Amino acid sequence: MTRDELEKNIVTILVDEFEFENPGLSDNLRDDHGFDSIDAIELLAKIEEMLGFQLTRKEKEQAMTIRTINDILDYIESMQDAHQS
Amino acid sequence: MPRRVVITACSAITPIGYGKKDIVESLRTGRSGVKPLRDDGLLTDHIHSKVFGTVDYTIDYGFPRKDTKTMGPVAYYACQVAKDVLEDSGLSQDFITSGRLGVSFSSTHGSPTIQRNIYKTFFSNLKNEFSSIGAVDYLKSMVHTTAVNITRMFGITGRVIASSTACTTSSQSIGFGYEMVKYGMQDAMICGGADEYDTTTVAVFDNLLACSVDYNDTPECTPRPFDTKRDGLVVGEGGAAVLLEEYESAKARGANIIGEVIGFACNNNGGDLILPNLEGITTTLRLALQDAGISAEDVDFISAHATATKMGDVIESQAIDKVYGDKPHVIGLKSYMGHTMGTCGAIELILSLYMMEEGFLAPTLNLETVDERCAMLRHVRKLTEVKTRVAAIQNFAFGGVNTCLIIRDVRE
Repeated sequence: MTRDELEKNIVTILVDEFEFENPGLSDNLRDDHGFDSIDAIELLAKIEEMLGFQLTRKEKEQAMTIRTINDILDYIESMQDAHQS
Repeated sequence: MPRRVVITACSAITPIGYGKKDIVESLRTGRSGVKPLRDDGLLTDHIHSKVFGTVDYTIDYGFPRKDTKTMGPVAYYACQVAKDVLEDSGLSQDFITSGRLGVSFSSTHGSPTIQRNIYKTFFSNLKNEFSSIGAVDYLKSMVHTTAVNITRMFGITGRVIASSTACTTSSQSIGFGYEMVKYGMQDAMICGGADEYDTTTVAVFDNLLACSVDYNDTPECTPRPFDTKRDGLVVGEGGAAVLLEEYESAKARGANIIGEVIGFACNNNGGDLILPNLEGITTTLRLALQDAGISAEDVDFISAHATATKMGDVIESQAIDKVYGDKPHVIGLKSYMGHTMGTCGAIELILSLYMMEEGFLAPTLNLETVDERCAMLRHVRKLTEVKTRVAAIQNFAFGGVNTCLIIRDVRE
């Protein structure tokens, strides 16, 4: 999946399922949209579904530093690369 | 020094309506909320009882995802009635979050819908390796899910009590909340219970031969408390909450005081976990009167537990007869909606309040021929316009738990 495709998918998920309003790529997820640890776990499940493979415990823990949508996209790209290599 | 505890708001979602207007109309017109059991694609084919006390109308919750992400269906009922009582109460946001307001609320077993989804995954032998068990399924299904979703939604920081004792769940919630306020541990408590649509509960009672099965084609004709043709209980769903406050502070802030809890008792039969126990129940009724500081003659009507099981109604009748004789009116409110399980005590208390406020007593539905073993009581057989001031609400649960709440109308 290209970065643009990922962005489109993730923004759609955040708007449709996490009730984000007008999300910006650099918005702080917690401060601007009330995104919390429960949301993070739920989003990881969506990301696994989207990527078609299961993330390891260590990979999931890496996601806990994510703060913005750009961070989410970076994270997904790095996971794609890791699982392709 | 014990303090007086008053009721300053209430709300109920029931099979016969949501809110006072709907419910009072149902009580006055004898409208039943018992409907055909919905097919769940799993158990219904195996269950003999095909009736359920159903909330079949739409509720516009409007809760945002930040709240709903930890809520199963049972928490929707709970949070909606809690929202209603907080809005009606006029309590300030400062007080709500002060730690002086607590929550005493629970359900029979959390959210069976969520639990069922977990087990569906568990037994499905899914080929793919992704678990469909959600990360928050525990928060949605745990037994105190109703209480803590209420605290989360409204920022309540006081005590949390989540007594889960089957059919006495919400009567205990109110009773324990009453004691919290009475003895000064909290200044106010949101109390109640909720239970969602659930066929596993029907299956359990069905297997115990305790469910109604003879009226599957005429759901409104069952349950039939105290009637010779009663054939068991009907499981139902709903949610109900009351706001209890310390009397002096409620009065000082100009709250709308709609009733007072003056007595509560709870005990255990100390033995069998299923069979009703005359001695245990009789003791509870007497202890509640003692706590209220009134005599049996002061009670105008009794909301009986009256599930319409063969023996339960007989033993309860004997207990009422021993404590009260035939003076107080006796109503079996489950005849209108079935047994709403963990919610029944709170719903029946609220319906009792409504009847006191409106000056009538609703008849026990489907009571056509009184079982001679229950005939010594003063059953309400037809709609009766009468002013009442004191009511006793009786509930008994599997596990041998008995409760009795006594409320009083304090309006001038």
